[in-house]
Amino acid sequence: MRRLEARTLRKLEGSLFIAPWVFGFLTFVAFPLGYSLFMSFHQVKIEVNRTQYVYIGFKHYREILVANGSLLYEELLPFLKQSMMMIPIILVFSLFVAILLNLKFPGRTLFRVVFFLPVIFSSGQIVQEFITQGEGSLSMMQSLRIDYYLREYMPAAWASPIESVLSSFVLVLWYSGVQILIFLAGRQTLPASVYEASRIDGSNPWNTFWQITLPGLVPYIFLNLMYTVVDLFTFPSNPIISKVNTTNYGSSSALAWIYFTIILTFVLLTLLLYRRVDKALSGR
Amino acid sequence: MTRSGEYEMKIERGRPVPSVDWRLGAKLRNRLELLRYRVLGTEIDKGILFKLVVYFILINVAFIYLKPILYMMTTMVKDAKNILDPSVIWVPRSIYIGHLQEASRMLHYGKSFLISVSLASSVSVLQVFSCAIAGYAFARLDFPLKKLWGALLLFTFIMPPQVTILPTIMLFKQFGWMNTFLPMVVPALFGHGLKGAMFVIIYRSFYSTLPKELDEAARIDGAGSFRLFFRVMFPISRSATVVVLLFAFVWNWNDFYFPSLFMFTADNVPLSITLARMAGEMAQAAGAGEITVYAESIKMAASFLIIMPLLVVYLVMQRWFIEGVERSGLVE
Repeated sequence: MRRLEARTLRKLEGSLFIAPWVFGFLTFVAFPLGYSLFMSFHQVKIEVNRTQYVYIGFKHYREILVANGSLLYEELLPFLKQSMMMIPIILVFSLFVAILLNLKFPGRTLFRVVFFLPVIFSSGQIVQEFITQGEGSLSMMQSLRIDYYLREYMPAAWASPIESVLSSFVLVLWYSGVQILIFLAGRQTLPASVYEASRIDGSNPWNTFWQITLPGLVPYIFLNLMYTVVDLFTFPSNPIISKVNTTNYGSSSALAWIYFTIILTFVLLTLLLYRRVDKALSGR
Repeated sequence: MTRSGEYEMKIERGRPVPSVDWRLGAKLRNRLELLRYRVLGTEIDKGILFKLVVYFILINVAFIYLKPILYMMTTMVKDAKNILDPSVIWVPRSIYIGHLQEASRMLHYGKSFLISVSLASSVSVLQVFSCAIAGYAFARLDFPLKKLWGALLLFTFIMPPQVTILPTIMLFKQFGWMNTFLPMVVPALFGHGLKGAMFVIIYRSFYSTLPKELDEAARIDGAGSFRLFFRVMFPISRSATVVVLLFAFVWNWNDFYFPSLFMFTADNVPLSITLARMAGEMAQAAGAGEITVYAESIKMAASFLIIMPLLVVYLVMQRWFIEGVERSGLVE
């Protein structure tokens, strides 16, 4: 009896701790979420002192998906293609930099300071400013005429997203700030003793990377994959984000929900893939 | 090695010339060995060659990161003569601070700076506290439906703010909070707000790396969860706190999306909004045919004025920040 009391007491304490967050979740996340779902099935008319809702079923969805698909298919699809190419670049680059920054060499602190700068800049409008200045492109691209070869040898549907990735390649590097941090933090969790042992066993750094570092970092690769997906989909240059506005509450909500479904699919796929890889690795 | 050397020397005593040759060869081989050792190292990642490659790559990438900042800083101090002179690219011949003054006038810098500082710091401090409490509860405490709330936490992290933005606007309109700071501050009080879910996750993973004995010892001493949290847990989470505080401050400072929707028509707005208004004004002036060579410099000066406080904060905090990233169990 007494033990039961102690347990309920602890539950009560725990509930008190989580209560503010749950309250915030219900007011600032759950309620608006349900409300936007509700609005997406309605024609919303805002009048001076009241709001009118007329139920119209899936009309907004049908309009966006079928009748007037230009927004979704002509603006979102290229954006998705572009992000699909950006994600591997961001992941590989940030993993590479994190491993380099983890080495011990003189001046490491200075480099770390510089490499964490993107965390500060990339969230702001300053980056937009840099894009318009053309700071996002590599001058190498023009001099090697890579865009020309791309257009010559790639199908047109893929050439233009690739081209825009290349032309904003520096930007891709700019958006890897948090990912570098996550990899660097993740690298610290791999015990030094394992590396010591593999060195004594005569493994060279190349093998050590593939056999120890990479498998050890798998959870962080997926964490980064998730973070990158979420981050890219709320990108300032994202065509959808500016379309969700107050001009038409109903169809904007429907658009937001369609968009959210796409993101959710991506993230769930990532998680599924992670389960598979995790199983395969632990089974070995 | 030496013994066999002596042995060979004894045999070859009769013929001195090859012996010298041999010794020279050995010396040379030794030198080469040493050189190889220095350049390549006992293992690849300890030699000079490897270090050179690493430095080469890092310096190149660092340059990519630094170039726009350098560009910004040189462009903003160029006067008309320097802008039009094609030989001046990086180093202007003279320093002109007129653009900075003009930009600070257009940004209403004094007022907006204070607003940005107070908004970003209050939101980030609130987020640190509320997210630490929620993260601690998720990691260490027990409460009903814990699994469900954990899943919803992840859901909040994934959900783009655009999905809920319209009802949120309507909600805050009902409360009469439009054009005030409350729409940014109040969610932060409850562990939400800009990227709040991510901060809760950071704290959760930090607290779940701490040893269980810490809780148990304190409980045996008779401390309740509240005293335990505020006396022990929160103080030792310094490294996670530094990371969250810096992220929260920087992201709230830079955030344009929420303020633009919640307080666009307000008079007292943070810097991110005044920057957008200024860009709009300048675009309008350009559209009206007012072409000026200064536009670029003024924009860069404005960017500098907005970024500079963040740079100062970052440079002050960077030591703890980097340490925090390594130790906080930022990810788990």
